[in-house]
Amino acid sequence: MSRRIGGIFIRAVITILMVAVLNFVLFRVIPGDPASLLLSGARVSVTAEQIEAQRQNWGLDRPLFPDQVLDYLSATLHGDLGYSFKFRGRHVADLILERLPATIALVGLAQLIAILCGVLLGLYAGWRRGGAVDHVATGVSLALYSTPSFWLGMLLVVIFSTALGWLPGYGAYSPGANVGSRDLSLDYLRHLALPVTAVALGLIGQYVVVARAAMSDVVTEDYMVTARAKGLTGGQMLMGHAFRNAMLPVVTLITLNLGYVVAGAITVEAVFAWPGIGGLTVEALNARDYPVLQGVFLLLGASIVVANLVADLAYGLLDPRVRQ
Amino acid sequence: MNDWPLSRRVVVKAMLVASATPWVLNSRAVAASSCDDQIVRMGAIVAPDTLNPFASWSNFWPLAYTYDWLVGVDAQRHDDRKGFAKSWSVADDNLTWTFKIWPGMKWSDGKPATARDAAFTYNYLRNSIGKPDELNAGFNNISGLDKIQSITALDDETLQIVTKVPTRLAFDNYTMIVPEHIWKDVSYADARGAFRNDPPLVGTGPMIVSEFQQGQFARLIPNPHFRTGQPKTAGMVFHFFTTADPIAQGLKSGALDYGISLTAAQWADLSGNPDIVVGEARVEQRDYLAFNTASGQGAGSTKALQDSAFRDAIGYAIDQKAIVERAYRGHADPGVGLVMPVVADFYSDLSDIRRHFDLAEAARRLDAAGYRDKNGDGVREDKEGNSFQLELITGTSSGVLEMPIAAVQLIAGWLGRIGVPVSVTQLDSGALNARTAAPAKGGGGWDLLVQGGWRGPNASDLLVLGKSTDSADSSNTSYWSNEKFDQLVSEVETTVGLKKTQELVDQAARLIYAEAPYIMLAYPLLLDARRKDCFQGWPKDSGTSQGYYPFDRVRPV
Repeated sequence: MSRRIGGIFIRAVITILMVAVLNFVLFRVIPGDPASLLLSGARVSVTAEQIEAQRQNWGLDRPLFPDQVLDYLSATLHGDLGYSFKFRGRHVADLILERLPATIALVGLAQLIAILCGVLLGLYAGWRRGGAVDHVATGVSLALYSTPSFWLGMLLVVIFSTALGWLPGYGAYSPGANVGSRDLSLDYLRHLALPVTAVALGLIGQYVVVARAAMSDVVTEDYMVTARAKGLTGGQMLMGHAFRNAMLPVVTLITLNLGYVVAGAITVEAVFAWPGIGGLTVEALNARDYPVLQGVFLLLGASIVVANLVADLAYGLLDPRVRQ
Repeated sequence: MNDWPLSRRVVVKAMLVASATPWVLNSRAVAASSCDDQIVRMGAIVAPDTLNPFASWSNFWPLAYTYDWLVGVDAQRHDDRKGFAKSWSVADDNLTWTFKIWPGMKWSDGKPATARDAAFTYNYLRNSIGKPDELNAGFNNISGLDKIQSITALDDETLQIVTKVPTRLAFDNYTMIVPEHIWKDVSYADARGAFRNDPPLVGTGPMIVSEFQQGQFARLIPNPHFRTGQPKTAGMVFHFFTTADPIAQGLKSGALDYGISLTAAQWADLSGNPDIVVGEARVEQRDYLAFNTASGQGAGSTKALQDSAFRDAIGYAIDQKAIVERAYRGHADPGVGLVMPVVADFYSDLSDIRRHFDLAEAARRLDAAGYRDKNGDGVREDKEGNSFQLELITGTSSGVLEMPIAAVQLIAGWLGRIGVPVSVTQLDSGALNARTAAPAKGGGGWDLLVQGGWRGPNASDLLVLGKSTDSADSSNTSYWSNEKFDQLVSEVETTVGLKKTQELVDQAARLIYAEAPYIMLAYPLLLDARRKDCFQGWPKDSGTSQGYYPFDRVRPV
């Protein structure tokens, strides 16, 4: 058992190191020069000398291998993600930490809602296969699952913000709100409502489909027939046998999805002008801001690795066969 | 199997509670659109990264409301809009410029704003020339300052600029005047990078940035010391967006009072709303088709691209009116020459040499130039006997305005009909930038390019598209080089008189039109919209503003 857990941890560390190296190569392969891009937005003449000076300032004139890559790896191992090209003077870690709460609030809350609603609904639909709830839940879930979340977001804005005027359609809070006050918290929640709903609706569909399929498989298993023959009630069968077995694929989906929480929801963030990691990634990508891209993708890679790690460990708890 | 632990009743109750959430959250939702706070809310597709004008090009908005230019574009076009200087004049030698600064003007923190601040700003830039941290990375930069002999504050209200050669640069520049008492202790290294100039800023404009949330908004408060009186509104909130959809929806719901960066479809939708007034304004944007005229490194797939007769013939296969009507939905002026219609001082419709759309004429000219379809397969061959198959590259936007892909599709269609097939590649801004870089920097290899750009209205900026790329400017994406044109550019840069400058610009515009390294497609209009309910005093030409106008004079209803 301890050897299995040790192996899982070692694999995770190696994967994160590989992600760090890949991050350096990946974004430099994409065509585009950050200095030219940064200066090309000008309405006045920008000279080639000015562009070259900017490249020197960032150290991009130095050889890629070994100078730049060694500097990057050394700094990363020491926890220094460097300074942003686009957001001058800003440390990458500060930029990420600044955007991370908004992303966790948006995607994390959406995941929580989706897990609670989607898993329960999916398990119920699978338990009552062929019933009215099953038909409705399956149909609606498939529709939600196949609908782009940004489109759902736009629909929500049109209905709840533009037409009804109930909720704000963009931003994280009202400018001028008193930071730290109760009003700001309520204001933040109001701004959060529509984007969270947009993300959660798509995820609910996903969870319902997977949970229903898992429960449908479980209820036809021989041990369920045996349990019924032994005189167990429906509730005892559900909680004692079906639920735990049906949760295996659901737990995999949950942990993997939790790994993407820090990635943000790029399209939904764009629709709602939500200041999260997704928007930061797009801005950094458009500007070929290597340090920010490296930092964001390192965080994303690490969170997915950790999520997989949790999934592996959770499997061991849920399924005795894995432990053996 | 009926014993589900949750009853239907519990599920229904939970759903009811969830559906009531909007009502619960409703309490202050509408407050954002209320007129009561008298704050103007505007939105645009912009992404300022720092408030330091020496370090960034992307902060024109919102800094244009806080800082003044010495003169600026608006002040040259409109008597009722001024910059840091109230008036200006040039001596008979065309070298000595005198600027009279507003008497008694103050910075927003109450300290005197004088000619010394203007002299400091320019000398701060000039003195960085040649230093390791030369200030060349932002809106305030050293461009052209090598032509300046001296910049001196003769007294608090008089600034004198002496140039080495006659040049309009003394007032045709885009340097934001900053307060000496804030910037004098900022090192050059910090000024071009680490110094973020965090709010509250200190400026002479009507609205002062008091809060900046990157990726979200800037909050501005009225400048109590603004030279013509404190603005009547309680301030502004400038929201930053990455797409135009929230802007259009914000205008409809009342969350925004004014929005720009709208698409034609959104503009048309908003125009039917009784609470909203839509507008369109001519700006310095030009969208064009460029030929890769490079030979050797970075050359295109055929030498025909280097032949002005080939390019001229292609010019007859481009219908600018159709492009405006079908691709821009009428929200553009048809392209003609280098100069956009909004730059009235230099614009010419080139009526005596203008090409007209005629596919038969285009085909006839291609035949005459030696580009015939010799093997009868419907595709013309170049002089080396190779069939044409041109690669057209384009991006997804043209500066701050949308680049309609329909324009590219129309061009590809017309060229295909005259036996010059075109394949289209659409690239993101980074990849497009890499491919259109100078050949020495690894760019080139494409054949045709559809792109756009927004430049300043001064003569040098207008001509930069054709200026040889050997020395410096990377704006000449066709890689075209012409000694006569470069000579005209040099003369423009050392000419002060408007009439003489107009003659030089006209000669250059005609020369490049005839040589056809670029075919102008359209001059897109900037589409904006505003709500009527909260504020009044909006002019019809808000979108033409290149400064703080009209937010110095808009007032609550």
